[in-house]
Amino acid sequence: MNVLERIRWEIGASISIARRYMRIYYIRPGTIMFGLMFPLFMFLSFAVGRRIPASMLISSLISITLLFSSSSVGPMILPMERRLKTIERLLVAPISFYSILLGVILCSMVYSISISIVPVFIGLLFLGVEVVDLLSLAVGIFFSSMCFASLGMMFASYPTEYPGNVTMALNFLRLPLLFISGVFIPLENLPDWQRTIAFISPLTYCNDLMRRSVGGGYLNPVLDAAALLAFTILFLVAGMKIHVMFSDTASTSRPVRRMPEYGRRRHGPRGRPGSPA
Amino acid sequence: MEYAVESLGLTKYYGRILAVDHIYFKVRNGEIFGFLGPNGAGKTTTIRMLTGLTRPTEGTARIFGCDILKKVIRARRFFGVVPEFSNVYDYLSAWDNLMFMGELYRVPKDERRVYGRELLELFGLYERRHEKVRTFSKGMRRRLTIAMALIHRPRLLFLDEPTSGLDVRSTIVIRNIIRRLNREGVTVFLTTHNIEEANVLCDRVAIIYRGRIVAIDSPERLKSTIESVQSIVVAFDKLSPRVLDDLRSIPVVHTVRKEGDKVRLYTSSPPDALEELFDYVRRNGLKIISINTLGPSLEDVFLKLTGGGVG
Repeated sequence: MNVLERIRWEIGASISIARRYMRIYYIRPGTIMFGLMFPLFMFLSFAVGRRIPASMLISSLISITLLFSSSSVGPMILPMERRLKTIERLLVAPISFYSILLGVILCSMVYSISISIVPVFIGLLFLGVEVVDLLSLAVGIFFSSMCFASLGMMFASYPTEYPGNVTMALNFLRLPLLFISGVFIPLENLPDWQRTIAFISPLTYCNDLMRRSVGGGYLNPVLDAAALLAFTILFLVAGMKIHVMFSDTASTSRPVRRMPEYGRRRHGPRGRPGSPA
Repeated sequence: MEYAVESLGLTKYYGRILAVDHIYFKVRNGEIFGFLGPNGAGKTTTIRMLTGLTRPTEGTARIFGCDILKKVIRARRFFGVVPEFSNVYDYLSAWDNLMFMGELYRVPKDERRVYGRELLELFGLYERRHEKVRTFSKGMRRRLTIAMALIHRPRLLFLDEPTSGLDVRSTIVIRNIIRRLNREGVTVFLTTHNIEEANVLCDRVAIIYRGRIVAIDSPERLKSTIESVQSIVVAFDKLSPRVLDDLRSIPVVHTVRKEGDKVRLYTSSPPDALEELFDYVRRNGLKIISINTLGPSLEDVFLKLTGGGVG
């Protein structure tokens, strides 16, 4: 099999995995709770009772939705797959482990893009918001969903079997991001030191592209897109490193050095939780 | 000669615990090879190393000549795996589970639909193909797990405790399917702690104990290595502890074991033991309901090799 055939095979496998995961995991309570309800309530707590322009409301809602929905699917899928051992079915198939991860990311992106389109239509149809830069909106949604899906995948690479563990750790990052990324207060109104902090958040660039699509925006859109891409690569590389660190499969783990003779022991309690008998 | 599986010094440590210790064996193309051992002997770890799920600490293995460390993805095209745990997708139907596996192994669409139907019919699941798997019984899930491992027509099938926890009917169905697959040319690598299963299914058996292979041969040849262990199984009309004590005092009987409503007497000389036994029965007014003399069983071999001893 040549390289092109192999790539086609791997991408085909990723799409197949993503399609099955959509049917299995989109309707799971955890996905609905953290991917759909959580961003909605976060938005309501921000918007209700405040005089905020509709364009800012909608751009903030899209950003929050993208962050939570994209990053919630991977942390649901991978721990559940580990717990039910269905991941092993995929791991013994003639595909790369990275195709499985790509399947998870695709599944997260489709979920997130589908949900984030809802506030766009709400804005257009009911609040009179006008999309003045369709390209920024499309690129922003696509790149942001990819970036946050990779963020979720990075956290889900830690080998736990409980989605709650990953979601809890992820919320330690996601919630502060909401407050430092210019979602509630536009970047241009932030003091300099806060704006500097905002630049280390991927949500800043997502939100800036959403603002630009409805007539605002503070940064160059090319910079926004490039920053989102850079964060995506960072999260993917970190996720894979975490996976390799804990993995024991022949295709992804590092070779292990031989144990010294003096350390040999045979058959007692296993050295590591979850080690197979 | 092409071997289906070659284990070349596979070794696995978990931390400082040695789970599998430099094991060497070869599985011939077309045979049913049993991997027998008590719980925790290293059977599952070995199968996980052979299928690329666990990286060996030392050594390697070849599947139809493909090194599992260098060409694991190529090697995986040759085999199907039935793990100990029936890891099917509960929220998909039996048909969708099967088609999903077909897609991952890149079985052409028409072929996977035709063969998928054949497999579900063979495993008695076709009528319920559109039902979610979460409604299936344990036996049905097991059969589906095996069907999923076969959708790409593998040349080698790894089965990890395939009938563990199943009722007699499901066990017989699965054993018959294993025999049928083997007749059709599929090499079978079977791990089990069920000695009878290994005895009735396998062409050759490897016994693993504490991570080491202690014997490899056909079941009958393994039994012949302990020919001295023969036994008489007898059922009396009345069985009391005193009878067991009396039987233990027969000189040529070295071990007496109660097996349900029967007694098994281990001896190196069945004719002498029978003579003594009949004398005892006449003297004590007992009645024999049934009596059989038996050669060594695979269980005896297993117990002897794994340190359990006979009796």
